Amino acid sequence: MIPPLVTGISPKEGPAGTKITIRGENLGLRANDLISVQICGGECSFEWQSKNKIIARTGINGVKGKGDVIVTTSSGGVGNCTVQFRTYVESIGPLKESAVWVEETPIQSLTWGQRRMVTSSYHSQEDPLSLSIEGNDKKFTEDLREIFPENSGDLSRENFSPYWFLLENHHATSFDDLKAGYSYLKRKVEGQKEGQLSFLKTHVGAVIDQLDTMMKLKDKIDNNGEVEIAERIHNLQGTISQSIDSSHALFDDVLMRREKADKSRAALSVLNRYKFLFCLPMSIQKNADNNEFDIIVNDYARVKNLYSGKVDIPLIKRVLSEIDEIILEVRKNLHNKLKEMPQAVEQQKKFVKCLINLEIQQFGTKQYERLKINDPAWDSLFCRARYIEETFKRTYEEFQEREVQAKENNSVKRDQNSLPIRVLFCEEINEIAAGQFPDLWRLGQSYFTGELRGINEPKPGNFKQIILNVIEKFCCYIRSSILPNYYQKFSSVPPWTSNSSQQALISTWLPTCLRYLRITYSSLIRLDLPNEVLDVVLKLIDELRLFCLLTILKKSIDKVKRLDEKEGWDMKVEEFPGATALPEKFEEILAESLDEGQQMCLQLEVRENPLFDGIHNLEGYHEVSKIIETALGCFSTVIEELATQRSDDEIHPLPRHNITGFPVNTSLNDSKSTAISTITITWEHRLLYCLANAAYCNKMFINNLGNLFTKYGYPIPKLALENGRSNMNMVFANLLEIYVELKNDTIVSHIEPSMFSSDNFSWNTIEKCDKLSFWANQCLDNIVGVYLEIFAVSPFLLRPILEQIIQTIAEELSRLMNSVEQFNNCGRVQAILDIKMIRDSLKLYNNERAKLSFNEAMDAIPKLSNDENRYVDELLKSIKIQRRIQLMCLNVVNPS
Amino acid sequence: MSKKPSTGPISLHKVIMVGSGGVGKSALTLQFMYDEFVEDYEPTKADSYRKKVVLDGEEVQIDILDTAGQEDYAAIRDNYFRSGEGFLCVFSITDDESFQATQEFREQILRVKNDENIPFLLVGNKCDLNDKRKVPLSECQARAQQWGGVPYVETSAKTRENVDKVFFDLMREIRSRKTEDSTKASGRAKDKSKRRKLKCTLL
Repeated sequence: MIPPLVTGISPKEGPAGTKITIRGENLGLRANDLISVQICGGECSFEWQSKNKIIARTGINGVKGKGDVIVTTSSGGVGNCTVQFRTYVESIGPLKESAVWVEETPIQSLTWGQRRMVTSSYHSQEDPLSLSIEGNDKKFTEDLREIFPENSGDLSRENFSPYWFLLENHHATSFDDLKAGYSYLKRKVEGQKEGQLSFLKTHVGAVIDQLDTMMKLKDKIDNNGEVEIAERIHNLQGTISQSIDSSHALFDDVLMRREKADKSRAALSVLNRYKFLFCLPMSIQKNADNNEFDIIVNDYARVKNLYSGKVDIPLIKRVLSEIDEIILEVRKNLHNKLKEMPQAVEQQKKFVKCLINLEIQQFGTKQYERLKINDPAWDSLFCRARYIEETFKRTYEEFQEREVQAKENNSVKRDQNSLPIRVLFCEEINEIAAGQFPDLWRLGQSYFTGELRGINEPKPGNFKQIILNVIEKFCCYIRSSILPNYYQKFSSVPPWTSNSSQQALISTWLPTCLRYLRITYSSLIRLDLPNEVLDVVLKLIDELRLFCLLTILKKSIDKVKRLDEKEGWDMKVEEFPGATALPEKFEEILAESLDEGQQMCLQLEVRENPLFDGIHNLEGYHEVSKIIETALGCFSTVIEELATQRSDDEIHPLPRHNITGFPVNTSLNDSKSTAISTITITWEHRLLYCLANAAYCNKMFINNLGNLFTKYGYPIPKLALENGRSNMNMVFANLLEIYVELKNDTIVSHIEPSMFSSDNFSWNTIEKCDKLSFWANQCLDNIVGVYLEIFAVSPFLLRPILEQIIQTIAEELSRLMNSVEQFNNCGRVQAILDIKMIRDSLKLYNNERAKLSFNEAMDAIPKLSNDENRYVDELLKSIKIQRRIQLMCLNVVNPS
Repeated sequence: MSKKPSTGPISLHKVIMVGSGGVGKSALTLQFMYDEFVEDYEPTKADSYRKKVVLDGEEVQIDILDTAGQEDYAAIRDNYFRSGEGFLCVFSITDDESFQATQEFREQILRVKNDENIPFLLVGNKCDLNDKRKVPLSECQARAQQWGGVPYVETSAKTRENVDKVFFDLMREIRSRKTEDSTKASGRAKDKSKRRKLKCTLL
């Protein structure tokens, strides 16, 4: 594994093509062990001789100047060298033999004069002192011109100044070198002189011969006299002119050779040209088959260039017209190709450019007239647009088909987690749009920037329309697939075969669809499309956002409807005792939906408008408002149903005390906490809770909901809230009625029976009256009972309920009193006492109608004397004191 | 000679082969370089060889420029000669003309180098052909003497007689010439070291 080492080369310099003997060590074990020989960086042809010797010939691709000789063998790898080869350029003259082909450009640019110029300039660069001028930058030229105004540094000028020359070219040369240079120059000059001398020396024989001949000549002339001289001179002249002629002939020979060379070159180029021409039809075909239209364009241009003038030769004419025919075919082919879809924009552009190029070149021929393509670029645009539309349509139909199939095959084992077909379609069509539309737009851009400008002017209006059409189609398909019930008015596409169950499935996936669409939108925005086009998509996005929002909100309605399951009768609301956690849960649901909606739909992405921006989308907001109203309505219903719902065991009323009419086991006096902890909550209690809830919602909760909307960035749906509140009010009224009815049953309807509980009771037969009668006591007790029941739930409900009850009591009393036929004295006093007692005890809850009824009741009783009145008042006072603890609660003005 | 082991790059001695055409310059060179005797004659233009040799225990590089003997190349010789540090002036003892030509080569070298004491060997080649000798040994030695006592060696590229000797002798001359030059350049330093040496011997 010792790398090759080159230690000797013979010769050490030469032009390209020099045969070189390379010697060294490890130059390969066998001939096939030697892999390559590189001289001056250029590969050489070589012949292996031994492991110490290679014969090589330098290639033409080596670098000029000194360079390494590198031998590479498979056994030793890349080698090294101790010697260097110098490649130089040898100028070839017409009389110089050359072993290698000298490159000459086909157009005879290397004229003789030029070559001489080149060589002379080469000579001028050589230093007369034969010293290296490296490191001697010519930097003083301007100064030198000042120092030696009369002189010059140019060796060939008459005013040449050695000082100038040395300063200019050798200011950095050492003195020793200069001395050496000087002696070299001296020698050269001497050598030149010596050259003449050595010439004489080497040709001394010939010179002596010449001298002898001249001597003989002189003798002859002397001998023959002057007569012959003229003749001889004449001969001499003849010989001279002969030699001139022969030398001319010699040179003519050179000239002739040159001429011949030129001729053969010209012939070669003509041959090439015709070969090109005659082969062109075939090569065009071949290139057309290989889609190498660039080459065809170039070739055709070359032909047009070469034979642009009037060609009279019929053969060439025929070939040219044949070529034109083929080009016509190629044009047709290209025209078809550029309309082919799908293909890359660049490819399409290339076709268009080639076609335009060919058209421009063929313009004017009769073949051109036969196929006029107005605007190939436009055609390509149009085809691309149509292709996109068709792709949309195809995808649309394909997915419809798939949905139908899926429904048929797979209706049983539908996987809930897999995306519905329509959502898949939405993804697909968005991908198509985001992927292909930019291509169309870019093609259009290049069309209008003139890159694809043909012979005709571009049509900007139409292009915009095309773009608009494509985008509108895109939007329509999406609408039709996922928003079929909405905005059908835009349907320029056949509707998606409607299927409501599928529709319901989609709703949960709407945000996904929205995301797809937004991605597409953002990619379209990056294209710098006109606003008109973007607005089309924006409109769809707005619709989708709204629809999405509505769907989210609608979902909340369902949740609200199921709220009754969540009622735990858990009183939590501090500011409104009696209200349960139900409204809070409702608020949670609403907040959740609003939050989701806000994140999905309200949050703005690039170039989107706020969904509820003033009058921008009144209709949409109306929808939202309606849904909120429905939600509130449902909530009211839930409350109402919760209140009226009675489980089976409650259908039979609890066993009541015969006379009091009150459920025996009710936890009237239980504290709040025990009321909550009891597992079975009586219906009355639930009714009360619901009443409290309704009142709470009506008074506070719904108003507070407005803040929720503001918090999530929605406008407050005032109308919906107001309607919801009035709804709630109605529920409250209904429930109140039910409860009052219930209590009336237990209180009012017991007044009469308890009044006449003893068999022979009559107002006319009362013997003494020193205390409240039984029924009045009973009535008061019952009222206090109800009071406590309500108070345990919510003091806020006391007034509305008690007022109603008391009114009924008053009315009942009025009826009873009016129906009494006769009172004895005692009876009168007793009746007044009872009524006053009841009235006074409940005076806080007497409304106008109750007061009126009480008065009516008292009017029905014959008037008492003053004594009797006084008696009644005193008795009343003592009874009130007696029962003050029981009645105390009724006198609390603001029991909360 | 106590020589410090050379730490720097190994020294390079540039040898130039001069002499008329066909006297055996290339044969000597190739024999020295590759132990190879080339029978066929092919005129040299200018060949370059370089290899490492051990000269008196010191590794040096020898660079041999084998020049053209033919008159055609006389004009470019000057350039070659200038780079040479030592010259082997070769003639063939079977060819008197080649012997006469040595005079011209000698003159040209002295002229180019401008130095009378340039390392120089007069080499009479083809001594294996003694029976065809045209130049008497005495004449050769006389000329060497006349040139200021340059060594005269007879060689045979064919038998390898004295081939190594001429190259190594010349390299020694070049080497001693180089040390001489450096001594001249730093004469004092050398003197000091000599004086110290003397003292040492005294002690």
